[in-house]
Amino acid sequence: MLDLIPDYVKNAPFYHLAVEAFLLVWILWLIFRKSYSPAEKNKLSEKDKKELLEEWTPEPLVPDYEFKDSVINPRVVEGPVAKYAIVNGVKSLNAASFNFLNMVGNEKINEKAIKSIEKYGVGSCGPRGFYGTIDVHLELEQRLAKFFSVEEGIIYSYGFSTIASAIPAYSKRGDIIFADEGVHFAIQKGIVASRSDVRYFKHNDIEDLERLLKEQEEADKKNPKKAKATRRFLVIEGLYMNHGDLCPLPKMVDLKYKYKYRIFLDETVSFATIGKTGRGVTEYYNVPREKIDLISGSMELSLGSVGGFCVGSSFVVQHQVLSGQGYCFSASLPPLLAASAIEALNIIEAQQGEMFPDLEKKCKLLHQKLKSVNNLTVSGIDISPVKHVRLSFDNTLEKLEKIVDYAQANSVSLTVARYLKEEKFSPKPSIRISVNYDLSDSEIDLIVNVIEQGIKSIGC
Amino acid sequence: MNVGVAHSEQNPNVSWLNSKGIWFTYIIFVFTMHLVLLSLPFLTTAVAWTLTNVLHNVSAFYLLHVVKGAPWETSDQGKARSYTYWEQIDDGVQFTATRKFLTTVPIVLFLMASFYTKYDPTHFFINISTLAVVLIAKLPQLHGVRIFGINKY
Repeated sequence: MLDLIPDYVKNAPFYHLAVEAFLLVWILWLIFRKSYSPAEKNKLSEKDKKELLEEWTPEPLVPDYEFKDSVINPRVVEGPVAKYAIVNGVKSLNAASFNFLNMVGNEKINEKAIKSIEKYGVGSCGPRGFYGTIDVHLELEQRLAKFFSVEEGIIYSYGFSTIASAIPAYSKRGDIIFADEGVHFAIQKGIVASRSDVRYFKHNDIEDLERLLKEQEEADKKNPKKAKATRRFLVIEGLYMNHGDLCPLPKMVDLKYKYKYRIFLDETVSFATIGKTGRGVTEYYNVPREKIDLISGSMELSLGSVGGFCVGSSFVVQHQVLSGQGYCFSASLPPLLAASAIEALNIIEAQQGEMFPDLEKKCKLLHQKLKSVNNLTVSGIDISPVKHVRLSFDNTLEKLEKIVDYAQANSVSLTVARYLKEEKFSPKPSIRISVNYDLSDSEIDLIVNVIEQGIKSIGC
Repeated sequence: MNVGVAHSEQNPNVSWLNSKGIWFTYIIFVFTMHLVLLSLPFLTTAVAWTLTNVLHNVSAFYLLHVVKGAPWETSDQGKARSYTYWEQIDDGVQFTATRKFLTTVPIVLFLMASFYTKYDPTHFFINISTLAVVLIAKLPQLHGVRIFGINKY
């Protein structure tokens, strides 16, 4: 029997055999030790189950909630929410909804929408990548790109999901986002969804931003390898919806090249309101659009349609075609809404010479008049079409609600700026007034007067 | 393996490795490579075996322990980006069947190479050092550990 074993095995050095024995033991140990399957990881024993069930106390199906007057008695609007809307059966001047260019209720747009329904039907029946692309979508994308004079544009079906999808499409785990504290809720949600590290700087405080950037630069110097694999983003709004002021864009563009970050600019409010021809804050500050990596906006405010868009270079936009969750997994924008957005762009491009100077004039006028009201402070820049007004003393939500009710009784619809509990940094309570470029001087006076009397009526 | 759709796996980069057919294919692949090397007239049997062992261990080390992330964009917002392939297997659970199999293969290859190289000390040194590299990298204690920060980012 032993003769069958070759000589070289018998003469094998001891260290070699020892290693082999060790390895054999290793294999045997591996084979006979307990295996774990990944599915088993979350399995509970009977005892654990019992304990968990005993610990569990069910939450009430309807939680305790203090119903406010505005919730119990909501204002009911009939018909289109245009410049004038029928609120609780009474025709009132609407200064509450974002209808800056009076596109809601525009006859031309209504006509286009009806024609579009006749041609395409109401829905698009699928996401863009799955039988949902219709010629008007492509046309709208091209038109938006042309409007901003950039390479390409992409449209989303819902304004909120535009920036909330665009941020996580680029910024991933381990990346760093520098964001303004004043950004609106959709941006906050996009930042959360990206799972990146977020550093909030004080609202419009360029020094605070630079402090954070310097901190990051120090950390990067200590760990250059990590810094190489980390992307940095600056997320800002052009005109802050919750504050009514502009971002200091030129300074942020200067810092971009010093500290190497990419700029995501959300122009939800500033698109088609700010700038000589409504091209947004880039036009207002005369910043070349190539320096902004991504511009996003909404078609729900100035254009009076539904949906949102991003514009930028082809590289940036094409990435979203595969990675923008809202683009890939939402049914595409109903063709009638795309057609009305195109018609709104037509109107803007035809009248941009008068429209935007007019809007600016009205904004400035309202700002001035609101400023002269006793016991009232107006925040933000005078050319902003969104005004936040607060009581100078003892500014509480209840009092502001009373003023709004008073205004409604006098056929002027105002609204208190409402924020969700989940918002990161809610601004102080305010009445939010939005400017329509079609407002006449007497209508502006009416709004201001009604607020003035409202303040008097609550005894301030 | 629908990547990024609503009901897909978060990281389908590794799940296919749990199939027994893939294990068998892997073994066939290694021995085909060995047979090709063996058929080259200027290589002796011993050199062919050591070469098989070294080639296997080097490529396994590169694919399992050097390359990180997934070849496509996973829906985990880049969680897999910092993990090597070995660390992604079975969501990082240790001592699963796949991990045991992948640990056993290089050991068996070493034992066979030792036999066919007739316990030659030079061959032994080459084979044991490549084996040590792949085995140490697979230890559960070194899960997610980057020694001296090598390959950390």
